[in-house]
Amino acid sequence: MFGSLYLKVFVNIILKRSETTVYIELFSNKNIIKNIEETFTTKSINEKMLDFILEYTNESPFYYISILDTSSAQGAIPTCSKNQIGIFHDVTSSEHRCFKEKWSYFTSREDLYALEKTYKPIGIDFVFSPFVMLAEFFKDKIDSHLAMFILVEEKYLSLAVFDKSELLFARHMDVQKRRDEEALLVYDEKAEELHSYLDEGIDLEEINPIDELEFLDDFADIADLDALEEIDEFADSQDLEEEFYQDQIQESKGTLSEGFNEDFQRFLLIQSSVKRFYLEDKYKSIFIESVYIADGSGVSQDLKRYLEEEMFLSVYVRKIDLAQQVCELAKAELNS
Amino acid sequence: MRYSYTKPRKKSIFTPELKLALIFFIITLGMLFLTYGFLSFKDFSFQSQKAEMIEKRFDLGEAIEEMKAQIALINKESLLGERITTQNSVLKDSITNLFDLIPQRITLSEASLLENGLILHGITPNKDIYNFMLQAPLRSIFHKTYSSFYPLSNGWLRFVSTNYIEDDSFENNITDITEEKALEKEGEDEN
Repeated sequence: MFGSLYLKVFVNIILKRSETTVYIELFSNKNIIKNIEETFTTKSINEKMLDFILEYTNESPFYYISILDTSSAQGAIPTCSKNQIGIFHDVTSSEHRCFKEKWSYFTSREDLYALEKTYKPIGIDFVFSPFVMLAEFFKDKIDSHLAMFILVEEKYLSLAVFDKSELLFARHMDVQKRRDEEALLVYDEKAEELHSYLDEGIDLEEINPIDELEFLDDFADIADLDALEEIDEFADSQDLEEEFYQDQIQESKGTLSEGFNEDFQRFLLIQSSVKRFYLEDKYKSIFIESVYIADGSGVSQDLKRYLEEEMFLSVYVRKIDLAQQVCELAKAELNS
Repeated sequence: MRYSYTKPRKKSIFTPELKLALIFFIITLGMLFLTYGFLSFKDFSFQSQKAEMIEKRFDLGEAIEEMKAQIALINKESLLGERITTQNSVLKDSITNLFDLIPQRITLSEASLLENGLILHGITPNKDIYNFMLQAPLRSIFHKTYSSFYPLSNGWLRFVSTNYIEDDSFENNITDITEEKALEKEGEDEN
């Protein structure tokens, strides 16, 4: 009743690898009065951070504290149906919500309690899933494109494949934690293949002649290349608007190649996820041509290069301010 | 649409500081209203008591006036009573004296005491006995004495003696006697 008369204070917390970013926005009558961002060297909440938050929350009783979920046991499922959720994930110990009646996102209930316990001195009002953030951030693309969308945080990677707003596959990964598991898996597989080749050698006798090359005859029609309408279609599939945006980023960024290891790690995780998406039967497998990256930690051009060169994907990177995006979600949630 | 896993905590304009201030003001106002109510009640009570007292005082005034009138009446009655008592005692003395006056040889058949007189009926052996033994003392008491005789068959005489005291002297006598009696009584009370 009196809410509109008061200042609204949105406190948005983003957990990074070894520090925490707090973005505070003072909002009144649809106008931003003030915004301030501060980074603290803590993974939970220290006295300095508490004082900083309390300084602003004391200004109004209508303050909302939001945080981006950091649970490693979170994810998204391509269904909202209670009967089908079990096929993708056991949600008995998870908290899950449905997004626009199309797909669900979940997180560990235990981690939610742990989060609430950690931030008990200030309390938590909203806990947002990175998948929701991804869906809202790329709303314009998700609704009309078939592509892979990735939210890159300093410590986490949230990956989702959408076909015109229909979720096909999603995975949330801890870059550090899974480094060994995932990367080694990929390397192991590659190493195994290599070793088997080296051990066995190439037995030419075992190589079957390619009898089924008849289909190559169809390429006889290639000569008829006058009607290049299909090529035009291919050209249409490129996201020109996004490419223009990419060029601008590149110009501002230059060709820095910092964080090589991390980007390579991220690339491996993306690669393994795509592999899993293609291989597992429970996911509707569709060929991915493009990938949209919401860059929340400042990825280098290497990741883009890896994806383009190794996986032949069209890569578009958009910078995202995670804290501001969390704030937008909090506002949207309040207005709903 | 809901995005968050958690519901926002209920926000209220009643912050702990505001609650404290409100509680303080409510208690203060409550105490003020209670005091006002108490004083109003007391004022009303005093007003009604005052009205009651005024009415009582008026009633008591009336009662005092009534009692004063009663006292005056009682005093009058008392005076009257005393006067009657004095008169009675005077009358008693007079009767006693009267009977003391009557000699042995004269027989009274009727005696009528008037306000200022005495009428005696009786028989006497002769006039001389009457004149010397009865009329002489009667004349010393009364101013006017009239005697009439009627002869009886046995030689005795029936007489009717009418005696009067003049009004002024009677009243003076009575007043003197009353005053004397009153003085005597006062002397007794003082003792």
